[in-house]
Amino acid sequence: MRISDRRFALFLMTPAALFLAVFVAFPLFRLVADSFFKISPIAGGSREFVGLDNYVRAFASEAFTGAGWRTLAYTLVVVTLEFALGLGMALLFTMLGKSSQIWRTVFMYPLMIAPIVAGLLWKFLMIDNFGLIGTLLHQAGILSDPNQIGWLSDPGIVLYSVAVPDIWLTTSFMCLVLFAGLQNIPGDLIEAARLDGARAPALLFRIILPLLRPVIAVALVVRGIDAARAFDTILIQTNGGPQSASETMSLLIYRTMIRFGDPGLASAMGTLYLLAMLAVAFVAVSTIWRPGKDN
Amino acid sequence: MRTAERVRHDGGATPMAPGTPSAPVATGKERMRRGVNREGLEAGRRGTRTLLWVLLAAAMVLYGFPFLYLLFTSFKTPIDTIAVPPTILPREWTLENYANALGRSGVPASFINSIQTAIISTVLSLVLAVPAAYGITRYKTLSGRIFIMAALVTRMVPPVAIGIPLASMMASMGLADTPIALSIAHTTISLPLSIWLMSSFFEAVPKDLEEAATVDGCSRLGALWRVVIPVVSGGIAVTAIFAFLASWNEFLFALLMTAIRSQTTPVVIANFQTQFGLDWGSMTALAAVYSIPVILLTLLLQRRIVAGMTLGAVKG
Repeated sequence: MRISDRRFALFLMTPAALFLAVFVAFPLFRLVADSFFKISPIAGGSREFVGLDNYVRAFASEAFTGAGWRTLAYTLVVVTLEFALGLGMALLFTMLGKSSQIWRTVFMYPLMIAPIVAGLLWKFLMIDNFGLIGTLLHQAGILSDPNQIGWLSDPGIVLYSVAVPDIWLTTSFMCLVLFAGLQNIPGDLIEAARLDGARAPALLFRIILPLLRPVIAVALVVRGIDAARAFDTILIQTNGGPQSASETMSLLIYRTMIRFGDPGLASAMGTLYLLAMLAVAFVAVSTIWRPGKDN
Repeated sequence: MRTAERVRHDGGATPMAPGTPSAPVATGKERMRRGVNREGLEAGRRGTRTLLWVLLAAAMVLYGFPFLYLLFTSFKTPIDTIAVPPTILPREWTLENYANALGRSGVPASFINSIQTAIISTVLSLVLAVPAAYGITRYKTLSGRIFIMAALVTRMVPPVAIGIPLASMMASMGLADTPIALSIAHTTISLPLSIWLMSSFFEAVPKDLEEAATVDGCSRLGALWRVVIPVVSGGIAVTAIFAFLASWNEFLFALLMTAIRSQTTPVVIANFQTQFGLDWGSMTALAAVYSIPVILLTLLLQRRIVAGMTLGAVKG
């Protein structure tokens, strides 16, 4: 008595599918359901159906639209900088060849550090008064006063300062993926282009980058989604401040839920945030990723 | 044969993933021996190489410095930690910060909680992901394709969106503030990743292998357990490392779902800021103690980790 292959495959997948259904799909369902209610934050408190009221309040609040724009800006800055740095490092390692292998390993170390630790570490470097960066720039004669730039206290630049640990943590990932991609470019192709008189910029923009396109696309999508969800590094550095200048969507939802005790409104924001992420993910997956297909 | 050569070069790290373009693949041995006559992008001229090494040294110093500074600071005296202006090296090396950090109540317990949570979550992820990934890659059914898509979409869900409903679910199951609850939450992050990684590893196992085993009288489950699993054991190790790290470093779920009893170290580190004023010295010491084991682990297992990270992203 042999069950069919199809049934057998289903049997193997069922436990994982059930797990995801119970612990991901069901909480998501709860989130969406909660977004239509006005909920008292006290356990066992009142629950009143309010239709789309929470959504109206979300869109009307400046905190929500502001957090949306800040999340977008944050993601763009993080992904752009770490792509540029990661590509630079990957090219450097490739040009140095095998002799750079040990440094490639060392370069990976930030990937293993907890984001909370990275955030703490950079806060310590950028903090007013005893932060080292301001002091070093002052000693080098670039700043007239160590506190001239309030990395984490000036609302105008804080969103970019809090992005630094994120960039520092994951440039290694970009570098690793792009480096692997570079190893797949046939050496003959580069040689041939060189013989044809192609100089470095032409080599990079006409040959290397177009050949890396699929790898670049995947790396950007993976990192873009992660950056848009950033929470730990920002929370520990500024907690969204000063004056909400570094409050991204994750932080706003967290604060709405925990500090302001408005689960209904937070759920509506969470639902919108999730829909935006899924829309991006859907476009990305269907156009470039295509997992499970034979290569 | 180019492919055969690749497998051999990739050898030790991941024999089961011949398509994986990890580091040593492109540099053939013969090419290395000749040295000067390099191929492709590798720079040949001596001047160029010197310049590149200088650039690399600068990048490594800039990149390595922040963590070194954390280490140096952890050895300063608590007063020097926040001296104005700060010094790079400690004026006086001491273990005071370590004694303060590790002696604080709740800190040793948080380490045990972190280890416990990460181990439970890793085991849970593997137990669920290995059969699922096998089912997806070996039988190529419609349900399998839908499932791997769904698992990938799961990866896009912002943790903050499901954290609160998940926490209240755990509370109603009587699991509030336990390592079990937190490891289940962590598994929602690591399971999709594990399924994805394991699928890539299974994809590289030749189908003949289990066919031969089934002909010899093994059941399909028996063939999976006795023939396929041993072949992908390296891949399972990579997946385990990633699942472990995902849980070890996670903060948001830990913040939402734990109170006193099951608090993990990242939450304790963050709490230093508010509970005890700004105790930078203890914070840096605790952060160092928490990070160093995983950094060492990385350096030891780097080839496997590189293989896991680049897998999938560079396939095809």
